[in-house]
Amino acid sequence: GQDVPVRKLCELQAGERCCVVGTLFKAMQLQPSILQEISEEHNLEPQPPLSKYIHPSDELILEDELQRIKLEGAIEVQRLVTGTIFAVYGCEQDDGKFLVEDHCFANLPPPLPWNGPSADRFVLLVSGLGLGSGSGESLLGTQLLVDVVTGQLGAEGGQSCAANISRVVLAGNLLSQNTQSRDTINKAKYLTKKTQAASVEAVKMLDEILLQLCTSVPVDVMPGEFDPTNYTLPQQPLHRCMLPLASAYATLHLVTNPYQADIDGVRFLGTSGQNISDIFKYSSMDDYLEILEWTLRAGHISPTAPDTLGCYPFYKSDPFILTACPHVYFCGNAPRFQSKLLQGDEGQRVLLVTVPAFSATQTACLVNLRNLSCQPISFSGFGAEDDD
Amino acid sequence: MEDELYLENIDEFVTDQNRIVTYKWLSYTLGVHVNQAKQMLYDYVERKRKENSGAQLHVTYLVAGSLVQNGHTCHKVAVVREDKLEAMKSKLATIASVHVYSVQKALLKDSAPLYNTDYDIVKTNLHNCSKFSAIQCAAAVPRTPAEAPQAQTTSARAGSQPPSDADAVSAPVVNGHAPSAAKQTSQQPKGIMEMFAAKAASKAHDANKETKPESKEAPGVSAASSKPPAKSSIMNNFFGKAAMNKLKVNSVPEQPKEEKEAVKPSVSVAEPESSLNVVVEKPGKKTESVKSQQKDKKSKMKRVDKSDNEEEREPENLKKKRKRIKQLQSDSSDEEADVPPSPAPEEEKAPSPPPVPALKAELEPVPTEVSAGGRKRKRKRVLKSKMFIDEEEGCMVTEKVYESESCTDSEDDFTKSKPPPPQKQPALPAKKELKEEKKNLKKGPAAANRANKQVSIMGFFQKK
Repeated sequence: GQDVPVRKLCELQAGERCCVVGTLFKAMQLQPSILQEISEEHNLEPQPPLSKYIHPSDELILEDELQRIKLEGAIEVQRLVTGTIFAVYGCEQDDGKFLVEDHCFANLPPPLPWNGPSADRFVLLVSGLGLGSGSGESLLGTQLLVDVVTGQLGAEGGQSCAANISRVVLAGNLLSQNTQSRDTINKAKYLTKKTQAASVEAVKMLDEILLQLCTSVPVDVMPGEFDPTNYTLPQQPLHRCMLPLASAYATLHLVTNPYQADIDGVRFLGTSGQNISDIFKYSSMDDYLEILEWTLRAGHISPTAPDTLGCYPFYKSDPFILTACPHVYFCGNAPRFQSKLLQGDEGQRVLLVTVPAFSATQTACLVNLRNLSCQPISFSGFGAEDDD
Repeated sequence: MEDELYLENIDEFVTDQNRIVTYKWLSYTLGVHVNQAKQMLYDYVERKRKENSGAQLHVTYLVAGSLVQNGHTCHKVAVVREDKLEAMKSKLATIASVHVYSVQKALLKDSAPLYNTDYDIVKTNLHNCSKFSAIQCAAAVPRTPAEAPQAQTTSARAGSQPPSDADAVSAPVVNGHAPSAAKQTSQQPKGIMEMFAAKAASKAHDANKETKPESKEAPGVSAASSKPPAKSSIMNNFFGKAAMNKLKVNSVPEQPKEEKEAVKPSVSVAEPESSLNVVVEKPGKKTESVKSQQKDKKSKMKRVDKSDNEEEREPENLKKKRKRIKQLQSDSSDEEADVPPSPAPEEEKAPSPPPVPALKAELEPVPTEVSAGGRKRKRKRVLKSKMFIDEEEGCMVTEKVYESESCTDSEDDFTKSKPPPPQKQPALPAKKELKEEKKNLKKGPAAANRANKQVSIMGFFQKK
């Protein structure tokens, strides 16, 4: 209520109930720290990458502009991650820790006006094509996907429906992780002189696939974790010189990661998944869709950047703060497909979609812009063994 | 007659050549629409099965439909062998489409050979891979490299416009790409939407070339209606329209023909729209065989260090086609002028001095074009050093050959300053005129290639 005073940390008095707003910092024991690794006094081996870095002894600390204070009480320490903007209600205790009684996030940002199409229009979200992986299993699936979108597969009805796909968004990880091997650095120069990086072949394949897609539908290509672009967020678009065949077409759009666009009047916002998977590593939340919703409520796409996720050092303004609520909010390279339509208090309607990695699941997502619904579409060939 | 022809073709491919004939491969090889190719395969299979029940034909089918999994509907598109077809169809709640994917003699263990076949044929036809597809996109026009840097500059300008939220997610200072991408996306889809809306709405089609395939497809439709009818579908289903379509097919045989025409004109309407493309492609193809060799060498010369030549030829071909469209509209006579000089330099590849009359004949159009105000391209015969790696010997070989080179505007400007002064004396005797025209010609390429050593009789004229 309004009667509760909002205090800065430096104004806190012991025993007084108040609200404090600040940024969370989570002190994690298992968090990989480069300083610890190179420190000689500990003589530690570098820590192997874990899937989750949470530990029961993690602590939450609230920081504002001037001070920080430890938090205790009715908060789920495991769930929260560093970088979240947070408001807590409680009082300071005598030992200098803040006892939390309640907390809240920034909540959903204000809604955007809806200009969606009246007829059925679809957007295909695909991520994790994983080209260059050396295994040809997903290649047929990729070809089937391209054939469906370009209208070659399927009977007349299916083709006319596919003609309603107004955009294809490739959400990252177009290249597979296998193309990232850097063995050539360790080998002698004379052995590696004539060898090409694996990503060269993969990019050529990508170019051909994009060419086929671009001849019939506009395509937005977002870079991902394993794609040849910069590492820090926001990742810059792939350079068009890598895609000579496809970039001749005006229907190819090379875009950044994260990506925000208005497609047919519907606001899309999404990433290639690095932000969500980073939060996954540092929080007890397991469900990608849950994490996605949580970032929306926290009002920030990637709170863990730049603490654990590489990010450009913005100092004046943070571009990852959500100022308006998108209509479709997606993340790529999730383990499986999930989608949910979220209704907000101020009339926001958001479709949350976790796009699965195509190389693993052979599944893409089809979003219907008219009614904000989403359906997975999966492709398969047949193998030597019987399918279930 | 035509019906039998394609059946024989497929027969030959499958049995004699022992190929895997996928619908896509057939479509590219015979030059037909993909739906027609599927129909052909289906007919072929039917006939073969009727004639000779012991025929060793294995067929794979494509099944697309929806099924309810984990509480939500998901669509599956799968390639299945014939023996698994019924099983797959029974698994799906609604079937959107079933059609023949491929026909082959041998039983396939897995779908990798199918992929390989399709991959090979698509690779050979990369630049017109959507020619036979059912969806055409008007916005998908290849742009020339002159436009590409323009796109870059416009994006930089667009970036300085009042920042929308789109700015927020891009790098703050330098890159103007991202905001423009967001802006472009909002503009372009509207254009495409209009295009799609126009196609779907237009039932009346003009210039319908494919009357014959339509008549062929009419019996095909009635054959398709004998396939198991689709069950009733949910309206929100993505392929719901397809399932509804099938229902209609059952009840009214004439209507599917009409509906098919509704979709077909989406192809044929696109055809007149892109008819300019097609028309231009035809003269393009005529001269392509002549010019392909020249372009080959030209593209190799343009990049001295070896990047992929194929990739460059492709966009250049596209560029050339694009340019030709423009030129066809503006000045068709130039096309004619292009064709005669190009066969002429073709013959003059030998480094020995070319016969004078031929040179004169070729020079005549060249200077007229230069003096005509410098059109975009002209053919010039140039002595060039061609360097390539000889794979067998493992060395680099340098050859000096005459080849025809197409000069651009910049070179025209440069050479224009040279031709006008010599051309000021029109009353020169024929020999001198010839000499000076040759000088123009030599100065042009000489300007272009500084490292040009002439080891021919032409040096006599240059010393003057």
